[in-house]
Amino acid sequence: MKNKKLNKYLLRIPIYIFTILFVILPLAYMVIISFLTKAKTWGFDFTFTLENYKKVFDPFYLNIFLESVKLALASTVLVTLIGYPFGYFMGRLSERWKRRMMMLLMIPFWTSGLIRLNGWIIIFRSNGVLDKLLMFSGITKTPLKLLYTYPAVLVGMVYFLLPFMILSVYSSVEKMDWSLIEASRDLGASRLESFLTITLRLTMPGLLSGVVLTFVPSMGLFYISDILGGNKIVLIGSVIVEQLTKLRNIPFAAALSVILMLLTIVFLRLYKKVSGTGELEGLF
Amino acid sequence: MKSKVLGLLGLGAALALTACGGGSKDASQQSTGAAADSALKGTTLNLYTWDGMFPQEVLDGFTEKTGVKVNYSNFDLDETMLAKLEETKGGDYDIVVADDYIIQLAIKEGLVKELDKSKISTYDNINPLFQSKFYDPENKYTMPYGAGIPLIVYNPETVKVDIQGYNDLWNPELAGNVGIIGNYRVIDGITLKSLGYSFNTNDLTQIQEAGDKLKTLAPNIRLINDNNLQDYLLSGEVGAAFMYTSQVTQAIKANPDLKVVYPKEGLGFGVMGSFIPSNAPNAEAAYKFLEYINEPEVAAKCFEYIGYFVTNKAAESYVSDDWKDLIVFPEDKISLIESGELIENISDEANELHNKLWEEFRQKTN
Amino acid sequence: MKKVSKAAVIFLGLVTVLNYLPIILTVVYSFNKSKLTSVWEGFSLDWYKMLFNDGDIKKALLNSIILAVLTCMLSLVIGVSAALAMRGKKLIFDDFISGFASLPIMIPEIILGMVFMAIFSYMNLPFGFVTMTIAHSSFCVPYIFLIVRARLMGMDLSLEEAARDLGASEFETFRDVTLPYILPGIASGLLLSFAMSFDDVVISIFTTGPSVNTLAIKIYTKMKTGITPEINALATVILVITVLMIFISERTRKD
Repeated sequence: MKNKKLNKYLLRIPIYIFTILFVILPLAYMVIISFLTKAKTWGFDFTFTLENYKKVFDPFYLNIFLESVKLALASTVLVTLIGYPFGYFMGRLSERWKRRMMMLLMIPFWTSGLIRLNGWIIIFRSNGVLDKLLMFSGITKTPLKLLYTYPAVLVGMVYFLLPFMILSVYSSVEKMDWSLIEASRDLGASRLESFLTITLRLTMPGLLSGVVLTFVPSMGLFYISDILGGNKIVLIGSVIVEQLTKLRNIPFAAALSVILMLLTIVFLRLYKKVSGTGELEGLF
Repeated sequence: MKSKVLGLLGLGAALALTACGGGSKDASQQSTGAAADSALKGTTLNLYTWDGMFPQEVLDGFTEKTGVKVNYSNFDLDETMLAKLEETKGGDYDIVVADDYIIQLAIKEGLVKELDKSKISTYDNINPLFQSKFYDPENKYTMPYGAGIPLIVYNPETVKVDIQGYNDLWNPELAGNVGIIGNYRVIDGITLKSLGYSFNTNDLTQIQEAGDKLKTLAPNIRLINDNNLQDYLLSGEVGAAFMYTSQVTQAIKANPDLKVVYPKEGLGFGVMGSFIPSNAPNAEAAYKFLEYINEPEVAAKCFEYIGYFVTNKAAESYVSDDWKDLIVFPEDKISLIESGELIENISDEANELHNKLWEEFRQKTN
Repeated sequence: MKKVSKAAVIFLGLVTVLNYLPIILTVVYSFNKSKLTSVWEGFSLDWYKMLFNDGDIKKALLNSIILAVLTCMLSLVIGVSAALAMRGKKLIFDDFISGFASLPIMIPEIILGMVFMAIFSYMNLPFGFVTMTIAHSSFCVPYIFLIVRARLMGMDLSLEEAARDLGASEFETFRDVTLPYILPGIASGLLLSFAMSFDDVVISIFTTGPSVNTLAIKIYTKMKTGITPEINALATVILVITVLMIFISERTRKD
């Protein structure tokens, strides 16, 4: 028994060391920078200031934060609606097809994201694949302008984030005890009832971690909207990049990142509260 | 189940095997550089710039001539390069090619080595038209490597407006039919120019005025894209586009019927420069490299490859006929360069206002 | 026992087809004569020729694979050990540490890259595979940790106890009971990590040194002069190899 306890401590060592050295330390450094002043040409001077945070609360930037949250939420909802049933059905396939499905899901990922986005451009652009299809089938008469619209951006976001949700849901469906559902059905529960009371409950950890794995990165994803949205939707990620590069204002970019981080944490906490489960333990 | 993981590792191994085929080639190349400079032979030159800036042929040629192996590594943005040089104190890299404005900052930060021109026998091939600019007024630190002059290109079949200058982009007939690059100093700059102001003004009221005018351009904007604007012009997504030089050349090459406009209000342009970082580990090889890429024939190959305007006078006659019209700056337009402006670094306040107005403009286009 | 309805199969198929649409177009345009994706100028194998003569791109591909494998190994050790350690009774700092561990995925890469660069240079770590592996692991560990933990959450602890009662050692219990149980989670996490590391650009650019260029860096930094379909050809080659490998592994599995 003692041995087991010791093991439990040993197993913690890697994550503790790694997190302290390569996550907490860099992030602390970022927080420190966010209170410093921009240097003339490059970098920062060690003079304390709150100016960067004051600037964040300019309605101009708040608005951009709002826009980013909206897109992240919309993407997460869509990804859940498609990804959950996908992961669920995938978990019901035969062993062989499960394996195949998993590889099928991952293969596109070996191709550069930029190249795949270009694929979507070919589909969406006027007189592109989709336009031709719609006109051929007689649904539309003239080429549409589908590219550089909000829906095009959403498609791109869903496309990129879907596998995170699917794999997460799948790995918890996969271990589900299907006999429980049969039992509940035998006891007279309707399909919906047994889904709500058993399936959903049992797959909740997968669903919740899927939502986290979708929502969290989507807050920082901006190049999809830059490419498929024609740079017309201003997201916080691209503002941070511009501040860092074109304006060389590292402290302000750090302050924006700190706020983005806090905002994400607030959302996660809210989510944890609303979902009312202990499954998200270990997340702020 | 175990085989799933094994399969993944197997994939890695297989790809690694195919990749190894490339590795052996380098070794054979090294041995061919027999007639090379003895001291430098076998050393490595760390070249740091965007990908696609030098044809493989030229890099191989350099290795053959000098016996120096070229290690080509890339950055995405000028600022990333500056950050890296700051962190390595001007070490690690031997040659950097980047944009003018960032070179000015790098020089200010003491990260650039002063050139010893006696070591570059081909130095005089440079076209003085692209020298002595703001970032290096006495030509102490850099050699130009291509000039970029954003121009308007349009398809006369679909666009009935006779575009002569920046102001024509505001023509209501172009509603939803214009594509522009995403560099706000350039776009805000042409708006300033269209009002008769300088690209580089620090006057906040002028910048604000331009910002307000820019917002009225929003209904005409179909897309803002830095990467492959030429594709959208060619596919008909937009009828007119204001784009970078390499994109202009690609567009004209694919469709010679497109019209190129040198805006009458005046050009705003940029020069790419090559320099040696202050603590370059192999500066001698760097000099050899600069000398080599300044040889007329080599330079002509490079400029055809990158599709930027030739900044090497001697190379102009070596540019092949299909490229001549595209990348050799037209004789009759030289006055436009002389009267044109480079986009320089401006005050923080002005830059910040520019950025804010730009973001507001972007939101307006949606 | 587990029946999959027709509707479900159609749904799975449809989403998969949509998932592959952009890839298929990538493959198609790798045979395009033109340098541009907007015009089809006819069939050509020029880009493949260019690809096979491009030593740099092969080197970059090899670097990407090495890096992704190293990242997967490091993230695997950290993520799985943490998930195992943190089930059951918690220590005071567990939530704090695992909460922090998941932060890197919510910060825009560019600032993370810059901060990493500063920290690594302060620690005197040489820029190259070491720094890149650490930086990549920072955003891969959360994926492995979260997915494996979600799977462990539903595991019946009595299974392991039973094994122990039957005389299995701690290691044997892990190998024969726990590991097979969490393997699908590990596989999902690894596949994601491999892909994320393989495709990462921004953090890589900041944390790499002069000698390690990855494929993703090469592709993204081509933008200045334009991306060529050589990259499409490469994507096609990788695709074909992957599919081939899967096919072979399915074949050999039969016996």
